[in-house]
Amino acid sequence: MTAVIFDGLVLGLQFGLLGVGLTVVYGMGGILNLAYGSIAVVAAVVMSVSMRAGLQAGPAVVLGILTAAGISLTLNSTVLKPVYRRRGEDRVLLSLLLTIGVAFIIDGLLVWRFPIEALGLNVGWEPVSIIGVRMRAGSLLASAITLLVGGSLIFFFRATTTGKAVRSVIQDEVGARLCGVNPAAVRTLIFALSGVLGGIFVATQAMTSPVPISAGFEFTITALLVTVVGGLGSIRGAFLAGLILGIVNAMSSFYIGSYITTIILLAAAALTIVLRPSGLFGERA
Amino acid sequence: MLEVSGLSTGYDSHVVVLGVSVDVREGEAVAIIGSNGAGKTTFLRAICGLLPVSAGDVRYEGRSIANLAVHKVARAGISFVPAERHLFPEMSVAENLALGAFPNRPDPDQQSLVFDLFPRLAERRRQAAGTMSGGEQQMLAVGRALMSRPRLLILDEPTTGLAPRLASQAYESLAALRTLGMTILVAEQQVPLVLGLADRGYVLENGAIQLEGPSAELRDNPTVQRAYLGVV
Ligand SMILES: Nc1ncnc2c1ncn2[C@@H]1O[C@H](COP(=O)(O)OP(=O)(O)OP(=O)(O)O)[C@@H](O)[C@H]1O
Ligand SMILES: [Mg+2]
Repeated sequence: MTAVIFDGLVLGLQFGLLGVGLTVVYGMGGILNLAYGSIAVVAAVVMSVSMRAGLQAGPAVVLGILTAAGISLTLNSTVLKPVYRRRGEDRVLLSLLLTIGVAFIIDGLLVWRFPIEALGLNVGWEPVSIIGVRMRAGSLLASAITLLVGGSLIFFFRATTTGKAVRSVIQDEVGARLCGVNPAAVRTLIFALSGVLGGIFVATQAMTSPVPISAGFEFTITALLVTVVGGLGSIRGAFLAGLILGIVNAMSSFYIGSYITTIILLAAAALTIVLRPSGLFGERA
Repeated sequence: MLEVSGLSTGYDSHVVVLGVSVDVREGEAVAIIGSNGAGKTTFLRAICGLLPVSAGDVRYEGRSIANLAVHKVARAGISFVPAERHLFPEMSVAENLALGAFPNRPDPDQQSLVFDLFPRLAERRRQAAGTMSGGEQQMLAVGRALMSRPRLLILDEPTTGLAPRLASQAYESLAALRTLGMTILVAEQQVPLVLGLADRGYVLENGAIQLEGPSAELRDNPTVQRAYLGVV
């Protein structure tokens, strides 16, 4: 039981990180980036291929993360350009259609060029015992990285001028502009950050189990669930929702079977939405 | 300081304000009065870059700021307090004020000035802006606008949603700001209040200036008295 909950926490932290990358982009003005998971998988492929070509794990991971950030930025400055000219529901819908198209293109290219690629990062240390539970070193390292990144994100958004500027655009874009904040610059930053988070996510995933090239869609759905449960645009909410969904995921795969986990996750998300239509932290940021 | 000449603006292709000219000199308080739907908000939004200027020019300290991006107008030293306030509802009073100083760190002296003007904000420093009363939100909106040390403060109906007593308090604060040398341009429907503050005023109707002059003259003008001061 304790071991299952630990697994759930490890997974949940990663889900939270994945969710933040989607939710901040949504908060920035109604862009739901459905290519998010696929971009993260590109990062995994870059990591895996460059390691096979002889690069050390560290530089390979950094290269993968930078690639994801680059794709994310390109998406923002090309495909999404027409989206920013629309408002409200139009904007959300158009962003859905365009980014789903991008996801198909990326997934198609990956299947074509790298059909059997999968990223595994082997952390070769001995398992460690924590309150009687043996934890794989990979899980611990993944959790430590996720906590560190999550903590830095919270610090960034709470305590730095730039982080506050990002939240101001999420909460009231007109108010932010009147304060001298340039929303386009904030958007650039957030898309880069989103790519970086996707890249870190796949790296931490790969420390516990291999990430196949077909995982993009599943990552996007997971991020979407985390975002919806946590409240659209809410950073705190994403972490809390990630933890909840991570534990639900670990419990249901352990006690029922992994084939049904996705259904249970969806049900948990649906239940949250029924109880709290705006998510756990519907008030945003 | 601000010279608006022949400004036209509106929404999409539908022109609401046509050829309006307004001057604001340094240290002055200037009022724009007019009834519902006259175009006051539309006019102010165009000055701040929130709406496109389709004809005419806006010059500020000698250079054109027509169609400049909103954040650039703000950084040039013009602070706009919209009637809807546009505060950051989930952020504390202190955070809202800090963002007013963006991209700089909040200046402690300027923050003390704001807290002297609105002691209420100092008491409520940690409260989320969205949970404050209408009067407090109005104070915060003005306070946030002051944090960047603007040279020109533009306000759109600062009395929106305020009870009469709070409305006159809002104008007392603006009067206090004036004595500190702040230049103010304010659109207002509560004509007696705003003419008590302003040196001069413009009457805007149907998107055009109908009358202009010193506040005392406007107060004595029969048209103004009939239309806005309830004199029959
Ligand atoms: N977003 C908008 N889209 C289209 N037309 C608008 C919009 N906002 C205002 N208008 C129109 O522009 C005209 C001027 O409105 P505006 O809000 O500038 O008047 P106002 O003088 O500020 O009025 P009030 O005193 O009620 O605030 C009105 O006819 C209004 O219907
Ligand atoms: Mg108005």
